[in-house]
Amino acid sequence: MATETAESNETTEPTRLVGHQQVEKLLSTSLYVVSGLLLLFLWVPLAIIIFLAFAENAVTIFPFEGFTLDNFRLAISSDSMRSSLAGSFTIATVAASIATILGVLASFALTRYRFRLREMYRTFGIIPMVIPGIILGVALRIYFQNLLGILPGFTTVVLAHSLYGLPFVLLIVSARLYTFDESLEEAARDLGADPITVFRDITLPVIAPAVGAGFLFAWIRSFEDYIRALFLTGPNTDVLTIWMFSRIRQLDAPELNAVSALIVFGVAVALAVAMNVGNVTGYVAGTVADEE
Amino acid sequence: MSTDQPDESRRARAVRLLSGPRSRLGVTVGPSAAWILTLLVAPLAFMVAVSFFEVSSLTYQIIYEPTLSNYRSLFDGGGAIWNTPFVTALWLSYVIATVTTVLCLALAFPLAYLLARNGGRLFKVVIFFVLLPFFTMYLVRAYSWVLMFGPGGVINSTLMNWGLIDAPLAIFNYGIPAIIVGLTHAYFPYMLLTLYASLDGLDFSIIEAARDLGASRVEVFRDHVIPLTLPGIIGGSLFVFVPSVGAFITPTFLGQGKIQMIGMLIENRVAGTYSIGYASAASMFVLVSIIGAMVLAFRYVSIEELGGA
Repeated sequence: MATETAESNETTEPTRLVGHQQVEKLLSTSLYVVSGLLLLFLWVPLAIIIFLAFAENAVTIFPFEGFTLDNFRLAISSDSMRSSLAGSFTIATVAASIATILGVLASFALTRYRFRLREMYRTFGIIPMVIPGIILGVALRIYFQNLLGILPGFTTVVLAHSLYGLPFVLLIVSARLYTFDESLEEAARDLGADPITVFRDITLPVIAPAVGAGFLFAWIRSFEDYIRALFLTGPNTDVLTIWMFSRIRQLDAPELNAVSALIVFGVAVALAVAMNVGNVTGYVAGTVADEE
Repeated sequence: MSTDQPDESRRARAVRLLSGPRSRLGVTVGPSAAWILTLLVAPLAFMVAVSFFEVSSLTYQIIYEPTLSNYRSLFDGGGAIWNTPFVTALWLSYVIATVTTVLCLALAFPLAYLLARNGGRLFKVVIFFVLLPFFTMYLVRAYSWVLMFGPGGVINSTLMNWGLIDAPLAIFNYGIPAIIVGLTHAYFPYMLLTLYASLDGLDFSIIEAARDLGASRVEVFRDHVIPLTLPGIIGGSLFVFVPSVGAFITPTFLGQGKIQMIGMLIENRVAGTYSIGYASAASMFVLVSIIGAMVLAFRYVSIEELGGA
């Protein structure tokens, strides 16, 4: 890196104990070392979960007792695990679908039209992502139960999660629409296509990857949410995170490691596929940088 | 044919509906605006109202008579104001969130810089290894630190097994350091990706020009790199600070009952005794301080800068 800099400085300041080339090398090496340590920091805890998932030991490595697949067998055969997994899948899918429909429509409004309170609309469209989950959860619980008289259950979780997922769809899809060449639509209209045909044949194919990414983000956010679900779910709606939370608290559940390891594997595969198909980094950096 | 007929007219009606600019605006803005109004604005407004009402401890019904008793109870604990559970928890939350933010910033900057300067093959691999924990369930990541910390946790037992220490070290027990590590691990990717987005747009020839003109590394960093990436630094700090203040899962697991942050206090009062008046009043302080942090941040950086970085 920046070898030119080092050379040109050497001519201006010739009397230094350590050569600039060496300083550059030292700096860049330490940069790599720090970055490597960081990746270790991110990875060691997850690697240990995966290791423990295959081990006889449940919570600690020493003394090591050998490898087994019993944890996975136990996890898969657990009825409560399966019902809460199914519950979370259903909630995430329904909520993310609603968020996607609302978010795509809202993205069109934000990128195509000028209207009163547009900035405010945009800000409020982002707030569900920024507001602490505990506050949104409690506020919605009080609102549903005390004001509207609706008891917590499937509907309330889905409504809360659809609101929570909205900003992710909104940010990703509107970023795509900003760069969309509208003359394509005009051309189709000039050739006699009605608005529905234009949308189906021209616009949708172009924004489809962004819509898919938005749906995926909203889905993941719903699936991994604990605190909103805690306040808004009822006795008949099982949620995986709540199942996991109670087991983590007891710190004695070999199937927990297996479930966690399966989640890490699932995410790894999905991410590897997504990164080879679409511009995941762009979407993520886009949402993060746009999160206001 | 007869089944096609009503379908065709429905389509024609839809086309007519989508042709006018007004109705088009209504169709696109309407649904999400309704969602935001009924599921975000109304609940928050109701929460503000509830914070000024008393709630019957018998029927859990709201007694609609304005009162400040909820706010008074936040600061009433028998002893001094700073010893009430609310003030202690809020203060602790700010301290922990601040330390976490600074830690994330210091750790993420070198890696983001490296990624921005060296694109290519390495980049894709590193980004995969950063994104994987990012997309992995929050709960799983918190759980992984539950296993790492504790007197018999992986860190202590490994160090003891290797003969480096004789007894479990207190710093690797559950408590504030564990919470900070857990939160840093949880929100680090937000900081990294925001900084990366900001550094990626940086023109590195500026740095080389400044160095050629005789500026030292520290000077270049202070006078050029930091000002040019300020939107990313402020944005990333917000994305770490705000969720850290309201954190619940991480302090619950890694504090193991010894530490109470504000999110836990609110959860406790609602889940335990359904003291929604108290919880609402406490939430108001968190909301106001978060809005304050954002307003402060936006004095130095505009929303557009943050988004366009």
